[in-house]
Amino acid sequence: MSRSTPVDLGFQRHTLDNGLRVVLHRDPRLPLVTVNVWYHVGSKNEQPGRTGFAHLFEHMLFQGSEHVGTNDHFRLVQQVGGVANGSTWYDRTNYYETLPSHHLELGLWLEADRMGYLLPALTQQNLDTQRDVVMNERRQRIENMPYGMAGERLHELLYPPGHPYRWPVIGYMDDIAAATLEEVRTFFRTYYTPNNAVLSVVGDIDPDDAIVQVERWFGEIPAGPPKPPVVIPTAPLGGEQREVRPDDVRLPRIYLGFRGPAYGRRAWYAADLLTATLSGGKSSRLFQDLVYNRQIAQDVGAYISPYEAGATFMVVATARPGVAAEVLEQALIEHLDRAAGELPAPADLERARNRMLTEHFTALQKLETRADVFSQLTTYFDDPGGINREIEQYMDLDGRELRDFAAEFLVAGNRASLLFVPRESHP
Amino acid sequence: MTAMRPDRTVPPAPGRARAFHFPPFLRHTLANGLEVLAARLDDVPLVSLELVTPGGGLYDPRGKEGLAALTAGVIDEGTRRRNALEIATFVERLGGSFGAGIDWDEGYLATGLLAEHLPAGLELIAEVATEPTFPEEEIERLRKQRLTEIVRRRQDPGLLAEDRLAAVLYEGTVYDHPLHGHPETVAALTRDDLVAFYRACYTLHGSRLIAVGDLDPEAILREAEARFSSLPPGPPPRPEINPEPLPGLQVYVVDRPGGAQTELRLGHVGVPRTDPDYIPMIVLNTLVGGKFTSRINLNLRERHAYTYGASTRLSPRLGPGPFVVDVAVATASTGAAAVETLGELRRIREELVEPHELEETVSYVRGVFPYTFQGASDLARRLETLAVYGLPNDYYERYLERLPAITREELLTVAQRRIHPDHMAVVAVGPAEALVPQLETLGPVTVLPVPG
Repeated sequence: MSRSTPVDLGFQRHTLDNGLRVVLHRDPRLPLVTVNVWYHVGSKNEQPGRTGFAHLFEHMLFQGSEHVGTNDHFRLVQQVGGVANGSTWYDRTNYYETLPSHHLELGLWLEADRMGYLLPALTQQNLDTQRDVVMNERRQRIENMPYGMAGERLHELLYPPGHPYRWPVIGYMDDIAAATLEEVRTFFRTYYTPNNAVLSVVGDIDPDDAIVQVERWFGEIPAGPPKPPVVIPTAPLGGEQREVRPDDVRLPRIYLGFRGPAYGRRAWYAADLLTATLSGGKSSRLFQDLVYNRQIAQDVGAYISPYEAGATFMVVATARPGVAAEVLEQALIEHLDRAAGELPAPADLERARNRMLTEHFTALQKLETRADVFSQLTTYFDDPGGINREIEQYMDLDGRELRDFAAEFLVAGNRASLLFVPRESHP
Repeated sequence: MTAMRPDRTVPPAPGRARAFHFPPFLRHTLANGLEVLAARLDDVPLVSLELVTPGGGLYDPRGKEGLAALTAGVIDEGTRRRNALEIATFVERLGGSFGAGIDWDEGYLATGLLAEHLPAGLELIAEVATEPTFPEEEIERLRKQRLTEIVRRRQDPGLLAEDRLAAVLYEGTVYDHPLHGHPETVAALTRDDLVAFYRACYTLHGSRLIAVGDLDPEAILREAEARFSSLPPGPPPRPEINPEPLPGLQVYVVDRPGGAQTELRLGHVGVPRTDPDYIPMIVLNTLVGGKFTSRINLNLRERHAYTYGASTRLSPRLGPGPFVVDVAVATASTGAAAVETLGELRRIREELVEPHELEETVSYVRGVFPYTFQGASDLARRLETLAVYGLPNDYYERYLERLPAITREELLTVAQRRIHPDHMAVVAVGPAEALVPQLETLGPVTVLPVPG
């Protein structure tokens, strides 16, 4: 079949003297600009007993800096019609402001102020408030949510003590409560340096003007020392991990987790393409068999996350009432065994590739996604141009590579199974 | 590169603003009653197509709650030409998606796919809209799935709170039920019910074909003419929704012992999307609870740290959708959070807002408008709003002009007319033992179990 022509996104890249890497992309479709900063620090850089720090710190970055008042970050952005947010993940923390394009310098000023001039605004009172806010965030998103503990427990089963993907990004409640102001300051000095950051400016800009403005606001922020290395234990999982968890739910749900290849490796893309053959759409294999034909699942999905030190591959299914969790677990395992033993059907592969293409174009419509992809590829691989090439990875893969991925990774010895079951049936 | 040392003590001055104009679009009602809205957006090779019909929850007959939802669920599970799997495969093999669903005001059939596959998308939408067969076995399969969905919903404290709030505010009207229905009504729906609903609500008059993307709008017009004319004319008569206001504050606690937190909602009946007060209500809602720096979020989150976030929302509907305050709070702070929230709602109708608050809010609501136009589905949603609520083509330009004309005095008048802090339902889902003592000072408390 014919293929729609890929969109070729042009960009400029620069590195300031202080080590800040800058990507500039002109996208004049709308009078908007997004200022997007990635710091190469996430929960992976924390220590056991001191978890949740990277995320708590993200909250502190919205509490003002030397020249920006406590609640002024959002106020200044919103009053010109902008939006702002941030997020923390295992490997990175990101921040953005999307603004009417003539307010580009407002975004640069805000990001530069908190990169270079944060410490005077870090107060005990702000920390106390944000600790409570984050504890409520943890309650809302994890503890009070059906199956909300799944991600946390699955990672604890998959990764041994000391492994930096073992603990949850939001942190454990006791650790959040114990965070001190001095630790917050040290964290800032260690990780929030221009040489540990990437700035992408995407939108209705003139890149030649924008780099002058970037240099003006960020150029005089001093570089920091190199950050401490993260040690990733390399020992394999070494045997199946399994937990049955009675919980306050009415429908059993199965989570199968596997340690996977690092994001960026060819096997990672094979895994991602495999998830698109297995799930996504009513004609996918897992949906057809488990939801449509056998009607033992209410929903089913397969996913792989882009972690830089080894991804987690996950299959999740919710059981219909009256279906034992173990029955559904076994059915999922059989599908994965088949993926390891047989080539995917050509029709499944075609559907998965086309789906990737559609998703790629859909994602590129959004300014903030373009900026995030530029920052992500620069942060992990120093390769912003990957935005134009990543989709080709999926088109090049053949069925054998999907099968080989499954045969190597989706095996019992590399698997953690977490079964949520209604509490009353397991007293 | 050398640069002047910047003055960091004040925000930098803006450059020159570039104007935003609503993208051009075609809007035409065919002789047979079907309305067509189409716009070309060719930055990426995608198209988004949607047939929007009157088949929403608004038309659920009493005793058959969930009928609109089940009809939409089964409509794409079989046509005269294709079975359920063939329908799914037809678009998915091309990398596209196809789905049917409802909200209160509409039923929709929607597909998104690569532009080169536009003919396939049109063919499938037309086939599913005009030739569905509602096979018995698919109805049974979907019925089981929907009944399971109701069970799943009852695990979720936020959704439990939403359902209870609707039941209290809209008792006796069609808005009192969840869109997916009640277990007993879903269990009793028959194939005849689905076919009758389909015939009544999937009609030419009252329906719109919306197409946005890398396409030719004129060609869409011709396709629309050719493909949908076999639908019945319609439209169905629209039911009136006039719920009685609550006589005072009423408190409901849904007991969830051991819950780690409490889901709290405060709400009352709001204004229809077409009401002239809707635009000032957008500003009022944004100022009180619709943005991070809103009064309620700054109070509950940044001042008191009761919550990760508190917000208010309007619900745009043909009838009067609810005005709701939405917050998940530490259980021990629930009473205090409710008191602070009610205090903010009273204050907004007692005092003029500060001039800077009005200015900042209007500037935000106007300024953020272009942000909501990224991509085909964003534009399609705007066109859908024009069509479903019968708004004129220049509505959004007038909206952007209307916003800065809103005064503090007008907001106060609208608040006094439309915000009713002394006639709200307060719903808390969490441990009753801890919640009742905190909430009984507000008004009579009814404790309910999580539905079975």
